[in-house]
Amino acid sequence: MVGIATGALLVLTAVTVVLAAVIIFGRAARRIGDARRARLAAPARRALLALAAGDDEQANFTTLARLEPGVWRAVEPTAVALLGKVRGEARAVLVSVFEERGSGERALRQTRRAGAVRRARAAEVLGNLRRRDAVPTLVALLADPDPDVRAVTARALGRIADPTAVPALLASLVGPRPVPPQAVADAVLRIGADGRDALVGALDHPAELVRVTAVEVLGLVGAITAAGRVIEVLSGDASPAVRARAAVTLGRLGTRQSLGPLLTAVEPTQPPALRAAAARALGDLGAVAAAPALGTLLADPDHDVAHAAAYALLRMGDAGRAALARAAHAAPAGSDPPVETATARAGAYAREALAVAELEARRRVGAAAAAAVR
Amino acid sequence: MTAILIADDDPDIRDLVAFKLEQAGYDVRAVDNGLAALSAARENPPDLAVLDVMMPGMSGVDVCRELYANPATATLPVILLTARAQEGDVEVGFGAGAVDYVIKPFSPRELVRRVEAVLARTRA
Repeated sequence: MVGIATGALLVLTAVTVVLAAVIIFGRAARRIGDARRARLAAPARRALLALAAGDDEQANFTTLARLEPGVWRAVEPTAVALLGKVRGEARAVLVSVFEERGSGERALRQTRRAGAVRRARAAEVLGNLRRRDAVPTLVALLADPDPDVRAVTARALGRIADPTAVPALLASLVGPRPVPPQAVADAVLRIGADGRDALVGALDHPAELVRVTAVEVLGLVGAITAAGRVIEVLSGDASPAVRARAAVTLGRLGTRQSLGPLLTAVEPTQPPALRAAAARALGDLGAVAAAPALGTLLADPDHDVAHAAAYALLRMGDAGRAALARAAHAAPAGSDPPVETATARAGAYAREALAVAELEARRRVGAAAAAAVR
Repeated sequence: MTAILIADDDPDIRDLVAFKLEQAGYDVRAVDNGLAALSAARENPPDLAVLDVMMPGMSGVDVCRELYANPATATLPVILLTARAQEGDVEVGFGAGAVDYVIKPFSPRELVRRVEAVLARTRA
Protein backbone atom coordinates (compact mmCIF):
# COMPACT_ATOMS: atom_id res chain seq x y z
CA MET A 1 0.00 0.00 0.00
CA VAL A 2 2.82 2.34 1.01
CA GLY A 3 4.64 1.40 -2.19
CA ILE A 4 1.65 2.37 -4.34
CA ALA A 5 1.33 5.72 -2.55
CA THR A 6 5.04 6.41 -2.95
CA GLY A 7 4.85 5.50 -6.62
CA ALA A 8 1.87 7.77 -7.19
CA LEU A 9 3.65 10.60 -5.41
CA LEU A 10 6.72 10.10 -7.57
CA VAL A 11 4.62 10.10 -10.75
CA LEU A 12 2.80 13.24 -9.61
CA THR A 13 6.11 14.95 -8.82
CA ALA A 14 7.52 13.95 -12.20
CA VAL A 15 4.43 15.27 -14.01
CA THR A 16 4.63 18.56 -12.07
CA VAL A 17 8.33 18.95 -12.90
CA VAL A 18 7.69 18.22 -16.59
CA LEU A 19 4.77 20.67 -16.73
CA ALA A 20 6.83 23.37 -15.00
CA ALA A 21 9.67 22.78 -17.44
CA VAL A 22 7.31 22.99 -20.40
CA ILE A 23 5.87 26.27 -19.12
CA ILE A 24 9.29 27.77 -18.36
CA PHE A 25 10.83 26.70 -21.65
CA GLY A 26 7.71 27.74 -23.56
CA ARG A 27 7.80 31.22 -22.09
CA ALA A 28 11.54 31.49 -22.63
CA ALA A 29 11.16 30.39 -26.26
CA ARG A 30 8.37 32.93 -26.79
CA ARG A 31 10.45 35.72 -25.25
CA ILE A 32 13.45 34.79 -27.35
CA GLY A 33 11.21 34.67 -30.42
CA ASP A 34 9.66 38.06 -29.61
CA ALA A 35 13.08 39.57 -29.01
CA ARG A 36 14.37 38.12 -32.27
CA ARG A 37 11.40 39.47 -34.22
CA ALA A 38 11.76 42.87 -32.54
CA ARG A 39 15.48 42.92 -33.42
CA LEU A 40 14.74 41.88 -36.96
CA ALA A 41 11.95 44.43 -37.29
CA ALA A 42 13.74 47.37 -35.66
CA PRO A 43 15.33 48.96 -38.77
CA ALA A 44 12.21 48.32 -40.84
CA ARG A 45 9.99 49.69 -38.07
CA ARG A 46 11.98 52.90 -38.18
CA ALA A 47 11.39 53.11 -41.95
CA LEU A 48 7.71 52.34 -41.41
CA LEU A 49 7.27 55.11 -38.85
CA ALA A 50 9.17 57.52 -41.07
CA LEU A 51 6.96 56.61 -44.02
CA ALA A 52 3.79 57.06 -41.97
CA ALA A 53 5.12 60.37 -40.74
CA GLY A 54 5.61 61.52 -44.32
CA ASP A 55 9.40 61.57 -44.15
CA ASP A 56 11.47 60.78 -47.28
CA GLU A 57 8.65 58.74 -48.75
CA GLN A 58 10.40 57.25 -51.80
CA ALA A 59 13.44 55.93 -49.93
CA ASN A 60 11.37 54.44 -47.12
CA PHE A 61 8.83 53.00 -49.57
CA THR A 62 11.62 51.25 -51.46
CA THR A 63 13.15 49.93 -48.23
CA LEU A 64 9.84 48.44 -47.10
CA ALA A 65 8.81 47.13 -50.51
CA ARG A 66 12.12 45.25 -50.86
CA LEU A 67 12.31 43.78 -47.36
CA GLU A 68 13.10 40.10 -47.09
CA PRO A 69 9.90 38.09 -46.41
CA GLY A 70 11.11 37.15 -42.91
CA VAL A 71 11.77 40.75 -41.97
CA TRP A 72 8.44 41.87 -43.44
CA ARG A 73 6.63 39.18 -41.40
CA ALA A 74 8.27 40.64 -38.28
CA VAL A 75 7.24 44.21 -39.06
CA GLU A 76 3.87 43.49 -40.69
CA PRO A 77 1.83 43.49 -37.44
CA THR A 78 3.01 47.04 -36.75
CA ALA A 79 2.26 48.07 -40.33
CA VAL A 80 -1.26 46.58 -40.17
CA ALA A 81 -1.90 48.31 -36.86
CA LEU A 82 -0.64 51.65 -38.17
CA LEU A 83 -3.01 51.43 -41.14
CA GLY A 84 -5.93 51.64 -38.75
CA LYS A 85 -4.46 54.49 -36.75
CA VAL A 86 -3.50 57.06 -39.37
CA ARG A 87 -5.33 58.72 -42.24
CA GLY A 88 -4.58 61.03 -45.11
CA GLU A 89 -1.32 60.76 -47.01
CA ALA A 90 0.24 58.67 -44.25
CA ARG A 91 -2.38 55.97 -44.76
CA ALA A 92 -2.26 56.15 -48.55
CA VAL A 93 1.48 55.58 -48.68
CA LEU A 94 1.25 52.67 -46.24
CA VAL A 95 -1.46 51.08 -48.38
CA SER A 96 0.83 51.35 -51.40
CA VAL A 97 3.48 49.32 -49.55
CA PHE A 98 0.95 46.58 -48.81
CA GLU A 99 -0.19 46.57 -52.42
CA GLU A 100 3.39 46.38 -53.65
CA ARG A 101 3.99 43.36 -51.44
CA GLY A 102 0.71 41.63 -52.43
CA SER A 103 -0.53 41.57 -48.83
CA GLY A 104 -4.19 42.06 -49.78
CA GLU A 105 -4.29 39.04 -52.10
CA ARG A 106 -2.49 36.95 -49.50
CA ALA A 107 -4.98 38.03 -46.83
CA LEU A 108 -7.91 37.06 -49.08
CA ARG A 109 -6.47 33.58 -49.40
CA GLN A 110 -5.80 33.32 -45.67
CA THR A 111 -9.42 33.97 -44.69
CA ARG A 112 -10.05 30.35 -45.76
CA ARG A 113 -7.08 28.81 -43.98
CA ALA A 114 -7.08 26.79 -40.76
CA GLY A 115 -6.14 28.68 -37.62
CA ALA A 116 -8.34 31.36 -36.09
CA VAL A 117 -5.44 33.76 -35.52
CA ARG A 118 -4.50 33.61 -39.20
CA ARG A 119 -8.08 34.25 -40.32
CA ALA A 120 -8.51 37.11 -37.85
CA ARG A 121 -5.27 38.72 -39.02
CA ALA A 122 -6.36 38.35 -42.62
CA ALA A 123 -9.68 40.04 -41.84
CA GLU A 124 -7.86 42.87 -40.08
CA VAL A 125 -5.51 43.39 -43.03
CA LEU A 126 -8.42 43.49 -45.49
CA GLY A 127 -10.31 45.92 -43.29
CA ASN A 128 -7.34 48.20 -42.79
CA LEU A 129 -6.63 48.15 -46.54
CA ARG A 130 -10.35 48.94 -47.07
CA ARG A 131 -10.64 46.31 -49.77
CA ARG A 132 -14.21 46.60 -51.05
CA ASP A 133 -13.71 43.52 -53.18
CA ALA A 134 -13.23 41.59 -49.93
CA VAL A 135 -16.70 42.43 -48.56
CA PRO A 136 -18.39 39.17 -49.71
CA THR A 137 -15.52 37.15 -48.22
CA LEU A 138 -15.73 39.06 -44.95
CA VAL A 139 -19.52 38.78 -44.79
CA ALA A 140 -19.09 35.00 -44.98
CA LEU A 141 -16.45 35.22 -42.24
CA LEU A 142 -19.05 36.82 -39.90
CA ALA A 143 -20.25 33.23 -39.36
CA ASP A 144 -16.75 31.92 -38.53
CA PRO A 145 -16.71 29.27 -35.78
CA ASP A 146 -14.29 31.41 -33.75
CA PRO A 147 -15.92 34.36 -31.86
CA ASP A 148 -12.78 36.51 -32.06
CA VAL A 149 -12.62 36.09 -35.84
CA ARG A 150 -16.26 37.19 -36.05
CA ALA A 151 -15.63 40.31 -33.94
CA VAL A 152 -12.49 41.25 -35.93
CA THR A 153 -14.41 40.72 -39.15
CA ALA A 154 -17.22 43.03 -38.03
CA ARG A 155 -14.62 45.69 -37.26
CA ALA A 156 -13.00 45.17 -40.66
CA LEU A 157 -16.33 45.61 -42.44
CA GLY A 158 -16.85 48.85 -40.51
CA ARG A 159 -13.48 50.11 -41.73
CA ILE A 160 -14.26 49.24 -45.33
CA ALA A 161 -17.54 51.17 -44.84
CA ASP A 162 -19.42 49.48 -47.67
CA PRO A 163 -23.17 49.93 -46.94
CA THR A 164 -23.99 46.62 -48.62
CA ALA A 165 -22.52 44.93 -45.54
CA VAL A 166 -25.03 46.51 -43.11
CA PRO A 167 -27.80 43.85 -43.40
CA ALA A 168 -25.28 41.06 -42.81
CA LEU A 169 -23.71 42.92 -39.88
CA LEU A 170 -27.09 43.44 -38.22
CA ALA A 171 -28.15 39.84 -38.90
CA SER A 172 -24.93 38.66 -37.28
CA LEU A 173 -26.21 39.91 -33.92
CA VAL A 174 -28.43 36.85 -33.62
CA GLY A 175 -28.16 33.19 -34.47
CA PRO A 176 -25.96 30.33 -33.35
CA ARG A 177 -22.72 32.29 -33.90
CA PRO A 178 -23.50 35.85 -32.86
CA VAL A 179 -21.18 38.86 -33.06
CA PRO A 180 -21.05 41.09 -29.94
CA PRO A 181 -23.52 44.03 -30.21
CA GLN A 182 -20.81 46.59 -29.48
CA ALA A 183 -18.69 45.35 -32.40
CA VAL A 184 -21.67 45.42 -34.75
CA ALA A 185 -22.88 48.85 -33.59
CA ASP A 186 -19.36 50.30 -33.98
CA ALA A 187 -19.04 48.85 -37.46
CA VAL A 188 -22.43 50.08 -38.66
CA LEU A 189 -21.76 53.47 -37.10
CA ARG A 190 -18.51 53.72 -39.08
CA ILE A 191 -20.40 52.97 -42.26
CA GLY A 192 -22.54 55.96 -41.31
CA ALA A 193 -25.43 57.57 -43.16
CA ASP A 194 -24.82 55.46 -46.29
CA GLY A 195 -26.25 52.53 -44.36
CA ARG A 196 -29.49 54.36 -43.63
CA ASP A 197 -31.78 52.27 -45.85
CA ALA A 198 -30.51 49.01 -44.43
CA LEU A 199 -30.91 50.35 -40.89
CA VAL A 200 -34.49 51.42 -41.57
CA GLY A 201 -35.19 48.01 -43.08
CA ALA A 202 -33.84 46.35 -39.92
CA LEU A 203 -36.50 48.11 -37.81
CA ASP A 204 -38.86 45.34 -38.99
CA HIS A 205 -36.47 42.52 -38.05
CA PRO A 206 -38.04 39.89 -35.80
CA ALA A 207 -35.15 40.03 -33.30
CA GLU A 208 -35.36 42.74 -30.62
CA LEU A 209 -31.57 43.11 -30.47
CA VAL A 210 -31.39 43.89 -34.19
CA ARG A 211 -34.14 46.52 -33.91
CA VAL A 212 -32.55 48.11 -30.81
CA THR A 213 -29.19 48.34 -32.56
CA ALA A 214 -30.64 49.69 -35.79
CA VAL A 215 -32.69 52.40 -34.10
CA GLU A 216 -29.75 53.40 -31.89
CA VAL A 217 -27.36 53.74 -34.83
CA LEU A 218 -29.92 55.76 -36.81
CA GLY A 219 -29.70 58.36 -34.06
CA LEU A 220 -25.93 58.24 -33.85
CA VAL A 221 -25.49 58.78 -37.59
CA GLY A 222 -28.00 61.63 -37.53
CA ALA A 223 -30.42 60.03 -40.02
CA ILE A 224 -32.97 62.85 -39.87
CA THR A 225 -34.87 61.55 -42.88
CA ALA A 226 -35.63 58.38 -40.92
CA ALA A 227 -37.34 60.29 -38.08
CA GLY A 228 -40.84 59.42 -39.32
CA ARG A 229 -40.07 55.70 -39.25
CA VAL A 230 -38.49 56.00 -35.80
CA ILE A 231 -41.67 57.70 -34.54
CA GLU A 232 -43.63 54.67 -35.76
CA VAL A 233 -41.27 52.45 -33.78
CA LEU A 234 -41.70 54.64 -30.69
CA SER A 235 -45.45 54.20 -30.73
CA GLY A 236 -45.87 50.78 -32.24
CA ASP A 237 -42.97 48.41 -31.55
CA ALA A 238 -43.81 45.35 -29.48
CA SER A 239 -40.69 45.72 -27.33
CA PRO A 240 -40.49 48.41 -24.59
CA ALA A 241 -36.68 48.35 -24.93
CA VAL A 242 -36.90 49.17 -28.64
CA ARG A 243 -39.44 51.93 -27.98
CA ALA A 244 -37.22 53.45 -25.26
CA ARG A 245 -34.25 53.41 -27.66
CA ALA A 246 -36.42 55.03 -30.31
CA ALA A 247 -37.15 57.84 -27.86
CA VAL A 248 -33.40 58.37 -27.32
CA THR A 249 -32.87 58.46 -31.07
CA LEU A 250 -35.63 61.01 -31.59
CA GLY A 251 -33.99 63.23 -28.98
CA ARG A 252 -30.70 62.95 -30.87
CA LEU A 253 -32.28 63.63 -34.25
CA GLY A 254 -33.99 66.71 -32.82
CA THR A 255 -36.77 67.05 -35.39
CA ARG A 256 -39.88 69.12 -34.64
CA GLN A 257 -42.22 66.25 -35.53
CA SER A 258 -40.85 64.22 -32.59
CA LEU A 259 -42.35 66.51 -29.94
CA GLY A 260 -45.92 65.16 -29.97
CA PRO A 261 -44.96 61.46 -29.99
CA LEU A 262 -42.42 62.01 -27.18
CA LEU A 263 -45.04 63.82 -25.07
CA THR A 264 -47.34 60.84 -25.59
CA ALA A 265 -44.51 58.53 -24.54
CA VAL A 266 -44.15 60.21 -21.12
CA GLU A 267 -47.79 59.66 -20.20
CA PRO A 268 -48.41 57.54 -17.08
CA THR A 269 -49.94 54.67 -19.05
CA GLN A 270 -46.59 53.99 -20.76
CA PRO A 271 -43.82 51.69 -19.37
CA PRO A 272 -41.59 53.55 -16.82
CA ALA A 273 -38.34 52.95 -18.75
CA LEU A 274 -39.91 54.40 -21.89
CA ARG A 275 -41.26 57.41 -19.97
CA ALA A 276 -37.81 58.19 -18.50
CA ALA A 277 -36.13 57.83 -21.91
CA ALA A 278 -38.76 60.04 -23.52
CA ALA A 279 -38.33 62.68 -20.80
CA ARG A 280 -34.58 62.75 -21.43
CA ALA A 281 -35.23 62.95 -25.16
CA LEU A 282 -37.51 65.96 -24.63
CA GLY A 283 -34.57 67.61 -22.89
CA ASP A 284 -32.32 66.82 -25.87
CA LEU A 285 -35.00 68.21 -28.17
CA GLY A 286 -34.99 71.44 -26.17
CA ALA A 287 -38.58 72.28 -27.15
CA VAL A 288 -39.95 74.87 -24.73
CA ALA A 289 -43.45 73.56 -25.42
CA ALA A 290 -42.52 70.43 -23.44
CA ALA A 291 -41.73 72.38 -20.25
CA PRO A 292 -45.24 72.16 -18.70
CA ALA A 293 -45.41 68.38 -19.22
CA LEU A 294 -41.91 67.90 -17.80
CA GLY A 295 -42.80 70.17 -14.87
CA THR A 296 -45.70 67.85 -14.06
CA LEU A 297 -43.38 64.83 -14.26
CA LEU A 298 -41.22 66.26 -11.46
CA ALA A 299 -43.82 64.91 -9.04
CA ASP A 300 -43.98 61.51 -10.71
CA PRO A 301 -43.83 58.59 -8.25
CA ASP A 302 -41.23 56.87 -10.45
CA HIS A 303 -37.75 58.11 -9.50
CA ASP A 304 -36.21 57.66 -12.97
CA VAL A 305 -39.03 59.58 -14.62
CA ALA A 306 -38.94 62.49 -12.16
CA HIS A 307 -35.14 62.64 -12.23
CA ALA A 308 -35.04 62.56 -16.03
CA ALA A 309 -37.68 65.30 -16.19
CA ALA A 310 -35.66 67.56 -13.87
CA TYR A 311 -32.48 67.24 -15.95
CA ALA A 312 -34.44 67.62 -19.19
CA LEU A 313 -35.82 70.92 -17.90
CA LEU A 314 -32.31 71.98 -17.00
CA ARG A 315 -31.14 71.46 -20.59
CA MET A 316 -34.10 73.37 -21.94
CA GLY A 317 -32.72 76.79 -21.10
CA ASP A 318 -34.62 79.65 -19.46
CA ALA A 319 -38.10 78.17 -19.73
CA GLY A 320 -36.94 74.91 -18.16
CA ARG A 321 -35.07 76.62 -15.35
CA ALA A 322 -38.09 78.79 -14.62
CA ALA A 323 -40.22 75.64 -14.29
CA LEU A 324 -37.62 74.14 -11.93
CA ALA A 325 -37.48 77.36 -9.88
CA ARG A 326 -41.27 77.39 -9.56
CA ALA A 327 -41.30 73.79 -8.37
CA ALA A 328 -38.49 74.44 -5.89
CA HIS A 329 -40.20 77.59 -4.60
CA ALA A 330 -43.53 75.81 -4.13
CA ALA A 331 -41.91 73.31 -1.78
CA PRO A 332 -39.06 74.94 0.14
CA ALA A 333 -36.44 72.60 1.57
CA GLY A 334 -36.33 71.60 5.21
CA SER A 335 -40.04 71.37 6.00
CA ASP A 336 -40.45 69.89 9.46
CA PRO A 337 -41.75 67.28 9.72
CA PRO A 338 -40.82 66.15 6.16
CA VAL A 339 -43.98 65.57 4.16
CA GLU A 340 -44.04 63.23 1.15
CA THR A 341 -46.43 65.10 -1.10
CA ALA A 342 -46.38 65.56 -4.85
CA THR A 343 -45.34 69.18 -4.37
CA ALA A 344 -42.54 68.17 -2.00
CA ARG A 345 -41.30 65.50 -4.40
CA ALA A 346 -41.28 67.90 -7.32
CA GLY A 347 -39.47 70.48 -5.21
CA ALA A 348 -36.78 68.02 -4.18
CA TYR A 349 -36.02 66.97 -7.78
CA ALA A 350 -36.05 70.60 -8.91
CA ARG A 351 -33.64 71.68 -6.16
CA GLU A 352 -31.27 68.84 -6.96
CA ALA A 353 -31.14 69.79 -10.64
CA LEU A 354 -30.69 73.47 -9.87
CA ALA A 355 -27.90 72.70 -7.40
CA VAL A 356 -26.06 70.61 -10.02
CA ALA A 357 -26.47 73.45 -12.50
CA GLU A 358 -25.03 75.89 -10.01
CA LEU A 359 -21.98 73.67 -9.45
CA GLU A 360 -21.46 73.30 -13.19
CA ALA A 361 -21.73 77.08 -13.67
CA ARG A 362 -19.08 77.67 -11.00
CA ARG A 363 -16.82 75.08 -12.62
CA ARG A 364 -17.21 76.80 -15.98
CA VAL A 365 -16.38 80.19 -14.46
CA GLY A 366 -13.20 78.65 -13.08
CA ALA A 367 -12.39 77.06 -16.43
CA ALA A 368 -12.96 80.34 -18.28
CA ALA A 369 -10.68 82.18 -15.85
CA ALA A 370 -7.92 79.63 -16.37
CA ALA A 371 -8.40 79.77 -20.14
CA ALA A 372 -8.04 83.54 -20.01
CA VAL A 373 -4.69 83.10 -18.21
CA ARG A 374 -3.59 80.80 -21.05
CA MET B 1 13.84 74.27 -27.93
CA THR B 2 10.09 73.85 -27.50
CA ALA B 3 9.36 70.86 -25.29
CA ILE B 4 6.41 68.57 -25.94
CA LEU B 5 5.19 65.77 -23.71
CA ILE B 6 3.45 62.79 -25.31
CA ALA B 7 1.49 60.18 -23.39
CA ASP B 8 0.04 57.18 -25.17
CA ASP B 9 -0.07 53.54 -24.14
CA ASP B 10 0.03 52.46 -27.79
CA PRO B 11 3.74 52.19 -28.72
CA ASP B 12 3.03 52.61 -32.44
CA ILE B 13 1.16 55.87 -31.95
CA ARG B 14 3.63 57.08 -29.34
CA ASP B 15 6.63 56.43 -31.58
CA LEU B 16 4.93 57.86 -34.65
CA VAL B 17 3.91 61.09 -32.92
CA ALA B 18 7.32 61.41 -31.31
CA PHE B 19 9.07 60.82 -34.64
CA LYS B 20 6.91 63.36 -36.45
CA LEU B 21 7.31 66.04 -33.78
CA GLU B 22 11.07 65.44 -33.55
CA GLN B 23 11.32 65.82 -37.30
CA ALA B 24 9.46 69.10 -36.92
CA GLY B 25 12.16 70.29 -34.51
CA TYR B 26 10.56 69.78 -31.11
CA ASP B 27 12.16 68.35 -28.01
CA VAL B 28 9.94 65.36 -27.28
CA ARG B 29 9.45 63.33 -24.12
CA ALA B 30 7.21 60.29 -24.46
CA VAL B 31 5.62 58.24 -21.69
CA ASP B 32 3.22 55.32 -21.80
CA ASN B 33 0.65 56.14 -19.10
CA GLY B 34 -1.27 58.97 -17.49
CA LEU B 35 0.45 58.89 -14.14
CA ALA B 36 3.89 59.14 -15.75
CA ALA B 37 2.61 62.04 -17.85
CA LEU B 38 1.41 63.87 -14.77
CA SER B 39 4.74 63.31 -12.98
CA ALA B 40 6.73 64.41 -16.03
CA ALA B 41 4.61 67.55 -16.48
CA ARG B 42 4.95 68.48 -12.83
CA GLU B 43 8.70 67.83 -12.60
CA ASN B 44 9.56 69.70 -15.74
CA PRO B 45 6.57 71.42 -17.36
CA PRO B 46 6.68 71.18 -21.17
CA ASP B 47 5.36 73.83 -23.54
CA LEU B 48 2.56 71.55 -24.68
CA ALA B 49 1.22 68.07 -23.98
CA VAL B 50 -0.37 65.57 -26.38
CA LEU B 51 -2.34 63.07 -24.33
CA ASP B 52 -4.17 59.92 -25.38
CA VAL B 53 -7.60 59.79 -23.76
CA MET B 54 -7.86 56.03 -23.21
CA MET B 55 -4.91 54.97 -21.07
CA PRO B 56 -4.92 52.37 -18.31
CA GLY B 57 -5.17 53.79 -14.81
CA MET B 58 -5.31 57.49 -15.41
CA SER B 59 -6.93 58.70 -18.63
CA GLY B 60 -5.78 61.71 -20.64
CA VAL B 61 -8.87 63.57 -19.45
CA ASP B 62 -7.96 62.83 -15.82
CA VAL B 63 -4.41 64.08 -16.42
CA CYS B 64 -5.80 67.18 -18.09
CA ARG B 65 -8.04 67.93 -15.08
CA GLU B 66 -5.13 67.42 -12.65
CA LEU B 67 -2.85 69.69 -14.66
CA TYR B 68 -5.56 72.25 -14.85
CA ALA B 69 -6.24 72.18 -11.09
CA ASN B 70 -2.60 72.79 -10.20
CA PRO B 71 -1.45 76.44 -10.52
CA ALA B 72 2.04 75.34 -11.63
CA THR B 73 0.64 73.52 -14.68
CA ALA B 74 -2.74 75.26 -15.16
CA THR B 75 -1.53 77.15 -18.20
CA LEU B 76 -0.06 74.12 -19.97
CA PRO B 77 -1.92 73.65 -23.28
CA VAL B 78 -3.15 70.09 -23.78
CA ILE B 79 -4.17 68.42 -27.04
CA LEU B 80 -6.18 65.24 -26.56
CA LEU B 81 -5.64 62.43 -29.04
CA THR B 82 -8.41 59.87 -29.06
CA ALA B 83 -10.53 57.39 -30.93
CA ARG B 84 -13.63 58.60 -29.05
CA ALA B 85 -15.30 60.83 -31.58
CA GLN B 86 -18.81 61.29 -30.26
CA GLU B 87 -19.99 64.83 -29.52
CA GLY B 88 -20.26 64.09 -25.81
CA ASP B 89 -16.68 62.77 -25.65
CA VAL B 90 -15.35 65.91 -27.30
CA GLU B 91 -17.34 68.04 -24.85
CA VAL B 92 -15.84 66.14 -21.92
CA GLY B 93 -12.36 66.75 -23.33
CA PHE B 94 -12.84 70.47 -23.72
CA GLY B 95 -14.62 70.57 -20.36
CA ALA B 96 -11.50 69.12 -18.76
CA GLY B 97 -9.46 72.01 -20.13
CA ALA B 98 -8.04 70.66 -23.39
CA VAL B 99 -7.38 73.29 -26.06
CA ASP B 100 -7.70 70.93 -29.02
CA TYR B 101 -8.98 67.45 -29.80
CA VAL B 102 -7.50 65.22 -32.50
CA ILE B 103 -9.48 62.14 -33.44
CA LYS B 104 -7.89 58.82 -34.41
CA PRO B 105 -7.26 57.74 -37.08
CA PHE B 106 -5.29 60.93 -37.46
CA SER B 107 -2.99 62.53 -39.96
CA PRO B 108 0.51 62.99 -38.49
CA ARG B 109 0.97 66.04 -40.68
CA GLU B 110 -2.27 67.58 -39.42
CA LEU B 111 -1.25 66.88 -35.83
CA VAL B 112 1.93 68.88 -36.31
CA ARG B 113 -0.12 71.76 -37.77
CA ARG B 114 -2.43 71.65 -34.75
CA VAL B 115 0.56 71.68 -32.39
CA GLU B 116 2.00 74.67 -34.22
CA ALA B 117 -1.33 76.49 -34.12
CA VAL B 118 -1.81 75.90 -30.40
CA LEU B 119 1.74 77.03 -29.64
CA ALA B 120 1.25 80.14 -31.78
CA ARG B 121 -1.97 80.98 -29.93
CA THR B 122 -0.34 80.39 -26.58
CA ARG B 123 2.56 82.68 -27.36
CA ALA B 124 0.45 85.41 -28.97
